Amino acid sequence: MPRAGHGALSFGSGAVWILIGVLLFLLYLPLVPPVLFSIGLAVPGVHTITFRAYGELWGSPILVSATETTMEVAAIVGVAAPALGLLSALAVRELGIPRLMMLLVLLPLFIPGVSMGLASAFFFRELGIAPSLPSVALVQTIWALPFATLVMLTVMSTFDPVLLEAAYVTGANRLRGFLDIELPIIRPGVLGAVLFSLILSFNETIRTSLVQGPLNTVQTYIWSTYKQTGLSTAIYALMTLLILLTLVLMASILVIVTRRRAA
Amino acid sequence: MRRARAAVRYGLLGLPGVFLVVFLVCPLLLTFAISFWQRTGFTFTPALTFNSYRAFFSGVRLLVFDRSLLISLEATAISLLLAYPVAYFLAFHAVPKAVRICLSLFTVPFLINYIIRTFAWTYLLDRSGPVNRLLQWLGLVHHPVSWLLYSDFAVFIGLVSAYMPFMVFPLWLSLSGIDQRLIEASWMLGARPARTFFGVILPLSLPGIFAATIFGFVGSFGESAVPTILGGVGFQLMGNTITSAMDVLDYPLAAAMSSVVVIAMLGLLTAWFLSFDLRALLGKIMEWRR
Amino acid sequence: MTRPFEISRRGLLSTAAGAAVLSVAGRAKAAGKTLNFADIGVGDPGGDWSGFTKASGWNVNLVAIGNAPSAILNVMIGGGGTSTYDIINIVGGMQPPLISNHLIEAIDPAEMPDWAKDTYISEYLTEGKPGFQFIGYQGRLYGVPSVLQGDAFAYLPEKTGPLDSYAALFDPKWRGYVALENNYTTAGQKTALYLKKAGLADIKDPANMSPAEIKAVVDFLIGRKKGGQFRVLWSSFEQAVDLIVRKEVYVIDCWEPMVFAAAAKGVHAVYADPKEGYLLWAMAAYLVNKRNGSAAEKKASYELLNFMLGGWYGAKITLLRGYMTNPLAPAYAASHPAEFTAAEAKKIAAITANVKHKFDQGGTWQNRWPTHIDAYESEWQRFEAA
Repeated sequence: MPRAGHGALSFGSGAVWILIGVLLFLLYLPLVPPVLFSIGLAVPGVHTITFRAYGELWGSPILVSATETTMEVAAIVGVAAPALGLLSALAVRELGIPRLMMLLVLLPLFIPGVSMGLASAFFFRELGIAPSLPSVALVQTIWALPFATLVMLTVMSTFDPVLLEAAYVTGANRLRGFLDIELPIIRPGVLGAVLFSLILSFNETIRTSLVQGPLNTVQTYIWSTYKQTGLSTAIYALMTLLILLTLVLMASILVIVTRRRAA
Repeated sequence: MRRARAAVRYGLLGLPGVFLVVFLVCPLLLTFAISFWQRTGFTFTPALTFNSYRAFFSGVRLLVFDRSLLISLEATAISLLLAYPVAYFLAFHAVPKAVRICLSLFTVPFLINYIIRTFAWTYLLDRSGPVNRLLQWLGLVHHPVSWLLYSDFAVFIGLVSAYMPFMVFPLWLSLSGIDQRLIEASWMLGARPARTFFGVILPLSLPGIFAATIFGFVGSFGESAVPTILGGVGFQLMGNTITSAMDVLDYPLAAAMSSVVVIAMLGLLTAWFLSFDLRALLGKIMEWRR
Repeated sequence: MTRPFEISRRGLLSTAAGAAVLSVAGRAKAAGKTLNFADIGVGDPGGDWSGFTKASGWNVNLVAIGNAPSAILNVMIGGGGTSTYDIINIVGGMQPPLISNHLIEAIDPAEMPDWAKDTYISEYLTEGKPGFQFIGYQGRLYGVPSVLQGDAFAYLPEKTGPLDSYAALFDPKWRGYVALENNYTTAGQKTALYLKKAGLADIKDPANMSPAEIKAVVDFLIGRKKGGQFRVLWSSFEQAVDLIVRKEVYVIDCWEPMVFAAAAKGVHAVYADPKEGYLLWAMAAYLVNKRNGSAAEKKASYELLNFMLGGWYGAKITLLRGYMTNPLAPAYAASHPAEFTAAEAKKIAAITANVKHKFDQGGTWQNRWPTHIDAYESEWQRFEAA
């Protein structure tokens, strides 16, 4: 089973499996209270389960529209940031100014969120970009871009250019070489970048709140109620549904991929 | 035809650069300019004054800056020590299916709103929480311990659980891309596993370490929810003190603090670039010059 | 190379196309005649604006925003608030920065028939009364009061017995079991009120302190902090409720609805009636100085403001959030059994009577924008860093 059994330093599988188990346990631990709250177990001494919150969820127009907005923004960011990230990674390699390009691409990471949000807000106002879906997507894309680029660069760093040389020798042009040889190999990076972008979009609050205009995202709505009126059980229900949905989705993808492999 | 192709090529490759210059560098320069402006009551007027910088460097906010640096460095180091073995193991000792499941499991929690995720720790760590009850049941303590929550410990828990999983991914990507033949060659030449690790694997995984460090450090440094939710009495990181300056409309001070943060970060990054060969960072792709 | 994630190029392309279609479809959402109402969450009547929509033909789009001055000012000055929002409903007293940056307009009470019926305005908030600073500025009116309240602190009687003074927050008996709000205009001002009444510091007006006075307050707080008096400085509703419900602290500087929320979770906490008095405040709905705003929007905005002064809205908000709203609310709830049950009407009447009592007791009016606010902020930074 160990692929690189010899040569590579072995930490002892058992110990690392335990470490992974502990880490995953710690990561999933904070998901337990929200699930319990969503079924009415927040109250000390109460042991009866109620699914009322799941009904209320659909009766809250602001939560429903915020969910829609969040999905729309995530869809845009999940495509735009990886695409720009791929281009940025290529630009770092191809344009002959790698250090400058790296600095530029990593810059969004270094600016405190609230400052970045405010600076963009002012700038958008000067440009006449009304605060709305595009401005939210734009701000989140900039935020996700360094993550997407770095993931892409990490994969590309393992790519052996000899393969490209071979393609050129056999008459392929640059584009063909990239599409047919390199892209398939760096595909995990592309998927990783999509995943990172979605996750970042799902969690961004500070920058978004400054450019959201007439919209709410789930995050800004949660932040506002968390601060001023308290989180409703409907919000916990929404989070629980999200956990379940993702786990089911991931499980089914795994099953499908495994079946296809087997076939 | 050739020229048109070149134009398309450079157009595409230049796109991210142009995009960033317009939507990032411009706002950033604006911020930098505002940090020198004069504040008069409710508004601020263009000027060239260092008042905001003086206020920052001579006040308690500098303590917050130091603390942010230290805490993020420590949190990043802890996260790296946890994430590297995981990534290493997944890259070299796990079957693809296990890797797939593991990496997926590491991502799922992040789809849950981070405020709710962070806040949930307070239920787990407070004086009547399950962790304290467990400690008492085990007989390790007789009274609930207070330092589990509203403490540096809790901040570390929050930061590590928020950013460590982000670090596993790039580490795994770079480790799994290492050419097996190099490792086997090292083995055949009689190198001991530890020597192979430090001589071959670790240097080759530097791009991943670099990306992971950036994710962890910058993420922690800019964090503002974790300290307010889990930190002790008045625990602040940079994001919090910048927001506080904005509360009284002191935009020049907020801009000055942001500029200092950006400059400090760029300094760290440049130091890194200078001390490490960029080729080690970017791997084979830089060796390849047409 | 391990490749656990297999996706085809076609799969990627179709995802992209799908995302694009989705976002375009999303844009097609009907805009219609809609007012954008930026609110800190308190003014949301459970998403039900049907009464207003039926009467005026306008929809209301509620945008949830933060109540911290930076959240409001950033959104209004930078974030295009003035090109988007028609009304912002926040804790009042923010007029100085809002007006000097031309973000809100003066209001004309004559446009709102229910203004005159709101006796709370004439009793507490009109010009000449100390509450005027919550809705007015330099002799003109800017805000429509949407919520009124007096803040003190809460305690767990089973742990502390009855308490009636802010001294409890600083009593070494509860060392490590006290929480304050992380806010100089609430916790800071309450501390000042206590120090003044107890004769521990020479403070002329807790609502508008000089730099030396706020420094004295912060020095006092730092002393207590170093002694381990405080468990945490909370900064959100949810956090404060949690501190009470989990009995993490016994004495907490907080807002009264948090006690209601704790009661709903089965924990009995008491909101104190301190001998030093209350920290009194009001929320104000401001008319945004909207760029490119039409006359029709303005007319509708006034209708919405008037709706907020009405009985149904007031009763609904009191019921949902636990704050006093307007004098029409209790009577409306009592006389409309189809909309409010008898128990709800009783609750609304009780909340209203309770808050009225606080205003009769008096205390100090919260000042969100004191003259030396910069000193407040930098001194509070010192407290946090200490």
